[in-house]
Amino acid sequence: MNLMRVYHHPILGNLKKQKKVKIYFDNQQYEAFEGDTIASALLASGVRVLRLHEDNGTPRGIYCNIGHCFECRVRVNGKNTVRACLTPVENDMRIESGIFLHKT
Amino acid sequence: MSESQIIVCRCEEITLKEIKETIEHFKCSSREVKLRTRAGMGPCGGRTCRSMIDQLVAELGGPQITNEVPLSFRPPVRPVSFGLLGGETT
Repeated sequence: MNLMRVYHHPILGNLKKQKKVKIYFDNQQYEAFEGDTIASALLASGVRVLRLHEDNGTPRGIYCNIGHCFECRVRVNGKNTVRACLTPVENDMRIESGIFLHKT
Repeated sequence: MSESQIIVCRCEEITLKEIKETIEHFKCSSREVKLRTRAGMGPCGGRTCRSMIDQLVAELGGPQITNEVPLSFRPPVRPVSFGLLGGETT
């Protein structure tokens, strides 16, 4: 279900048929289109919180969307600090959000 | 919006209030602000907040902004993982 996907754009026209891929974000399956970035695929599915701030647990998502700010960093297939806004989706990609590290 | 709600450094979540208090209390340079608060030391390498910190320090009576960059840029210019430096290929 692509809640926020733009299928009909007033200037760019209708979205052509895209090849679908499956991605997993925090073990939940989402549908993405080939050519999506992780950030665009998740945003299209209504996921706005990509991680929680390590110290305070405040939610973070897309901020600059050009790879500048590292706000959208996620863990992809076990690799840390991957920018969701620059990384194209691949089938069966496993994405994990950053977590709040409880203060001891 | 209060100064305690305005985040200057998003990586380390440092607010405008914290930065202003640090500058006022220690009368310090932007480099010292960085070392005291960690603003500018997150994964983005200060690319988002560096100029704001410099400007705040200048506005609040610290050293003026000159052509010499107070918050230094050091190699690597882009954040690189240790794995990549160690020869990891993927």
